[in-house]
Amino acid sequence: MTRAEASTADTLVAGCGHADLSLSAAMATSGFNSALRRNPRPSHRAVPLSVVPGTAPAWFPRRPSIRCTGLTLPCGEQFLPTGDEPPNGSRKNAAKTRAACRNRTRRTDGESHNRRTRIRPPSDAVSLQDRLFYLLQPPLESWLSGHEMVLPFAPFPYQYEGIAWLFGRNAGLLADEMGLGKTMQAITAVRLLLRSGQVSRVLLICPKPLIPNWKREFRLWAEELPTVTVEGSSAKRQMLWTMPSIPILIANYELMVRDLRLISDENQPAFDLVVLDEAQRIKNRDSLTAQTARSIERRRSWALTGTPIENRPDELSSLFEFIKVVPAHVYPDLRRLSQLAEEHILRRTKDLVLTDIPPRIDRDTELQLTDGQQEAYRIAEKDGVIRLNKLGDSITVQHVFELILRLKQITNHDPLTGESTKLERLTADMEEISASGSKAILFSQWTKTLDWLNDRLQPFHPLVFHGGVPQRRRQAVLEQFRSDPKIHLLLMSYGTGAVGLNLQCASYVFLFDRWWNPAVEDQAVNRTHRIGQRNPVIITRYICLNTIEERIDRVLREKRELFEQVLGSTDRLSQSSGLNAEEIFGLFDLKTPGTASGLSELPAL
Amino acid sequence: MSANGGSEKLCPGFLATLEVEGRGHVGGLLVTCHSGRPLEFQCTTPVKPDRTQTILYGQILKPWLLGEIIGGTLLERVSIKPDFLVIRDPLLLELRNHTDTPVVCLTDDPPSPEAPDETSEPGRRNLRYHAAHQADAERLASQMHLIPVQADLQEPLDRVSAALAETVKTVLAR
Repeated sequence: MTRAEASTADTLVAGCGHADLSLSAAMATSGFNSALRRNPRPSHRAVPLSVVPGTAPAWFPRRPSIRCTGLTLPCGEQFLPTGDEPPNGSRKNAAKTRAACRNRTRRTDGESHNRRTRIRPPSDAVSLQDRLFYLLQPPLESWLSGHEMVLPFAPFPYQYEGIAWLFGRNAGLLADEMGLGKTMQAITAVRLLLRSGQVSRVLLICPKPLIPNWKREFRLWAEELPTVTVEGSSAKRQMLWTMPSIPILIANYELMVRDLRLISDENQPAFDLVVLDEAQRIKNRDSLTAQTARSIERRRSWALTGTPIENRPDELSSLFEFIKVVPAHVYPDLRRLSQLAEEHILRRTKDLVLTDIPPRIDRDTELQLTDGQQEAYRIAEKDGVIRLNKLGDSITVQHVFELILRLKQITNHDPLTGESTKLERLTADMEEISASGSKAILFSQWTKTLDWLNDRLQPFHPLVFHGGVPQRRRQAVLEQFRSDPKIHLLLMSYGTGAVGLNLQCASYVFLFDRWWNPAVEDQAVNRTHRIGQRNPVIITRYICLNTIEERIDRVLREKRELFEQVLGSTDRLSQSSGLNAEEIFGLFDLKTPGTASGLSELPAL
Repeated sequence: MSANGGSEKLCPGFLATLEVEGRGHVGGLLVTCHSGRPLEFQCTTPVKPDRTQTILYGQILKPWLLGEIIGGTLLERVSIKPDFLVIRDPLLLELRNHTDTPVVCLTDDPPSPEAPDETSEPGRRNLRYHAAHQADAERLASQMHLIPVQADLQEPLDRVSAALAETVKTVLAR
C-alpha cells in the first residue's frame, strides 16, 4: 500500500465519512474490469454511545405459600357443684380443708413449682392429631392447681404420674399397692377426661360395700361431678342403665350381672369408659361376672386392683382380656404375661413411693396351743386324715378344706373347753393398747369367732363389723370407731372389712386367724397402713405352732419366686399368692387325685 | 374486651419455631384459655428460604422468615384469635410490625437501661416488647390480672416445641 493509500484508509477509519477509495490493482484484462472500477458505495448510520446500562430481570419480594395443619381441642364439659354436702360434714369444713391444702401446697411450693408431670401419648395413639392432643395438655400440676379445679389435698408426685398414666390410657391396669390412693387417682383422671371432653359417660363397677366409699371420695375429690348409683326397683335400675345423660354411673358387680342380662341386646348401654374396682373379682375368666364385664360396650377400660394376682399368674389373663389387650380364648405364657404387665400395668409399692409414711411392722407371734386345744386339735386331725384317706379317689379339695377349717377353728378356740391361747395373748396386747389410748382392728374369717371375741373383750368396748351387721348400720359403726375414744377395738371379717375402707385411726392390726391368701391379709392391713396414717402400724399375726397355720404359712412363702417372674418385682404382691389344689392336698401329705388337680378355682374361704 | 369476645378471660397465644435440619423452619401456635388449657393448635410445614432470599435479606432474613412469614401465617390461620402472643425467641418480635396483636417476649435477662425495647415484669416473668410498640406494655398491663398469678407463661411454649418435634418426627417417618 502506498502512503497516500494508507492515509486515505486512516481517514476512513477515523472519520467514518465519505472517502475516495481509489484502489489501483493490477487486473487481468477481462469483462469484470469495468465493474471493478466503479466506486463502492458503503451505507452508514449514526450509533449514539449508550450512557444508561441495561438491567437484569426485576426481583420482587414475595411471600412463600405455607401449608398449615392443626387441631381444635374439645371444650369439654362444664359442671356446676352438685349441692351435696362434702364428706367432712359441711361446706365450711370443706373450705377449711381446701385452705389447709393450699397451705400444704405453699409449703412445698418450691419443690412442686419445678415439677411437671406431663401427659404422654399412649402407645396405641397412632394418628398425629391424637398424639398432639396429649402433648398439648398442660402439666397436671398446673391443670390441677386450682384455676379450674380444686383438689382438697395436694397429690403426691407418684399420684400425679398415676393420673397422667390413666388419662392417656384406653387400656390400663392400675395395680398400686393398697393404700396408695388408687381411688383418688382414678377419680381425678376421670374428672380430667370429663372436663376435657374426652369422655361423657363413665361406668364404675365396685363391690357393693364400697359404693358409699366411692361416693364419698367423688364428693371429696371431684365435688362438681354428679354420680348416680344403680339401685332401687328393677324398672328404675333399667332406666338408670340406659339413661344417656348420667356422667358417672356406679354399680356393684352383682347388679351389673343381674341387670345387664335382662336388657335386650339392642338396648345394652354403651360407655366411654368402664372402670372395674377390685378387679380381681373377674379373675376367673369363665365366670359370669367376668363375661358380663367384658360384654359392656366401651371405648376405654380400666381395672383397679392391689392384687392383680391372687392365686395364679393366669388370673392376669382375665384382667387383660377385660382391658382388651388379650383376645378371647388366648392364654399367654409367663413370658408374654410379663411383657403385657410391663406395658399395661402400673404398680407402685409404698416402699418405693411413700418414703415418709410411717413404717409397717410385721410381727408373727407364734403361740403354743393350750392343753385343751392341743388335745382337741390332735384328735380332729387324726380323725380327719383317716377319713380323707378312706375317700380314696373320690376325694375332692372340698373335703380337705373342711378338715382345714375345722383345725383352724380349734386354733382359734376349743369349742369344748373354751380355751384359747390366742385370746389370752390378745387380751394382754389389748390392755397395753387401750392403756395408751390407741385403737386396733382384729380380722377373722369367721363371724362366729368375732361374736365370741366380742363377748369376751367387753372391757375394751369392741365394735363388730361383719356380714351380719345390716348395711345401713355399717357406716355408723365405722364412724363410732373413728370418733369415740372409748372404743379401742374393731372386730372385722376379712370378707366385709378387708377392702376399700379407710381406718387410719388404728395403728394396730391383729390377724387372729390366717386367710388362705396373703393378698387378702394385705388388703386388711392396708385399711390402716395407708396415706393419712401418722403412726407406725404394727401387724400381729397369730400363728399356732405345729398346726395347720404354720404349714400354710410355709407353703405360701415358697411361692414367692413364681410370681416374681410375672411382675418382675419382689414387692408384697409376690408374697400374696394363694394355694392351689396340689398344695392344699400336700398339707396333709395327700396325693392330688386326677379330678382335683384340674381345679382351677379355689372356693373363697 | 378480649379479642376472642370474652370480657372476663384472656386467651393467650404461644408461638414458637423449630429448625429442621436441611428442611428449613416450622412454626407452631397454641391458643389456650386463661388457665393454660389448649383450645387450638396450628403448625406449618417446613419453610426454607431460597438462595436469593438468603442473600438479599441478609441479617433480617430470620426475623422476616420466622416473624412475618411463619408467625403471620399462623396468626391468620387460627380460628380462635389470641388476645396477645407470647414468644421466647426475640426474632419473632418482628411479627408485631405486621399485626395488631400485642407480642411479648419472655426473657430472663435483667432489663438493660440502654435497651431500646420496652420491658416490664408482671408476675414472675420479665416481658419484653417491640421497641416500636411500647404501648403494648400498658395495654397488656391492664389485662394481666386476668391471667392467674401462678400461671407460668413459659411452660406452654415447651408444649408447642414438643408438638412441633412430634409433628416433624411423624412427617419424616412417612
